Amino acid sequence: MKHLKEEELVEHYYSQSQSQGPDEGEGVAADHLASCAACAADFAALCSDLGEFPAVEPPDRDASYGEQVWQSLRHALPVYEKPKRSWMGVGLWKGLSYAAACGLLVACAFVAGRQWERKQVQTASVKPPQQTQTAPAHPPQRVVVVVLSDHLERSERLLVQLKHADADSDEMISPLRDQARVLLAANRICRQDAHKVDDPALDPALVPTLDRLDHVLAQLANHPGHLSAAEITRLQDELNASGLLFEVRVLRTRIPEHRTAARPIGGTI
Amino acid sequence: MFRMGKNDQAAIRAILSGDKEAYGALVVRHSQSLFRVAFRITGNEADAEDVVQEALLRGYQKLESFESRSNFGTWIYRIAVRCALDRIGGRKGDKGSRVAEETDPEQDEVQVAAQAAGPDRLLLSGEIAALQQAALGALTPTERTAFVLRHMEDRSSEEIAAALGIAPNAAKQAVFRAVQKLRLRLAPLRVRI
Repeated sequence: MKHLKEEELVEHYYSQSQSQGPDEGEGVAADHLASCAACAADFAALCSDLGEFPAVEPPDRDASYGEQVWQSLRHALPVYEKPKRSWMGVGLWKGLSYAAACGLLVACAFVAGRQWERKQVQTASVKPPQQTQTAPAHPPQRVVVVVLSDHLERSERLLVQLKHADADSDEMISPLRDQARVLLAANRICRQDAHKVDDPALDPALVPTLDRLDHVLAQLANHPGHLSAAEITRLQDELNASGLLFEVRVLRTRIPEHRTAARPIGGTI
Repeated sequence: MFRMGKNDQAAIRAILSGDKEAYGALVVRHSQSLFRVAFRITGNEADAEDVVQEALLRGYQKLESFESRSNFGTWIYRIAVRCALDRIGGRKGDKGSRVAEETDPEQDEVQVAAQAAGPDRLLLSGEIAALQQAALGALTPTERTAFVLRHMEDRSSEEIAAALGIAPNAAKQAVFRAVQKLRLRLAPLRVRI
């Protein structure tokens, strides 16, 4: 039989005294003690020795002892600070906030820029058709002015030739009649347009001048048969009397001044 | 003063929030038990009072590290045991008591009974208690503390181990060595009784 060691006896002694009772190993020790007289004697001696060793009872402390201890301690105790965010934490959050705000600002600026750019592009894409609608007003105007100017220049040349023509020379008169026919058609178109356009910027002398020019050109172009010397002389006198050549010259010199202000009067030309 | 009705956890939360006075409730509630164990370990009233104050001061300073899941009473008890252990560990003459004409626990002096003295004299004079105290004083601080906690405070090996910061098996061994030494030291007395 294997006897219990002193250590096991000590453990058994205290396990008995504990409120939770002996564990499984202590149960084995108890069984052994019940069957082994030698170990039981040793255990009895141990119990005697330890039993004579009473728990030291401390001197009594009255009910105010705890308060006395507290009064002696309270002045030495620092006050706990309420938990605060560390400066690093605060700084970090501040930094993140600023970064987020800056990021938002940049994003807004970017979006606004994109929108503005898109609007500009849309405006630009819408405007050209307007320009294409208005732009023809100027080129045709310029074209008409050029045409009118050219017509007046050729008419002036014809009138000058007519004024200085020799009434007896058929060779001189015949080309004038051809030119008068061409100019007569152009003059009628100019007249029609001048009558249609009601523009205050239009030279008021243009329409009457074109009317009288039409009359002279018509006589010169449409006279049946050969123009006689008397007919030529009559036309020259009429030309001198009416001052048509002078008016045509004046109109021709004015045309450059009206280039920017003039309105289309011959859009169909 | 913090109201006694509040439990330890509420008092600790209040303290950590800046209410120093709340610690008063904990001090009042636990001072008696701390004094008892401190006296049993140190065997000295003045030392025990110092241990109580020191333990409560340390407890306050370490309150932030206290885990709210555990029991404050157990936690401060362990701190007091450590303080008491430090106290008796720092004493001079802790290696044993001197034999003197009269027993004087304050001076760690023990009057050993003469061989001629009868056992009735020993029983009646109360010298046995002094011898027992002297025998306790002869233990190492760890053995003495472990024995006090086991024999007088009825603490388990695990609790002793936690209080001393050692393994449970080492705590058992410390108790066993303490019992061995005490029995050996008090053996002459037993023979005469």
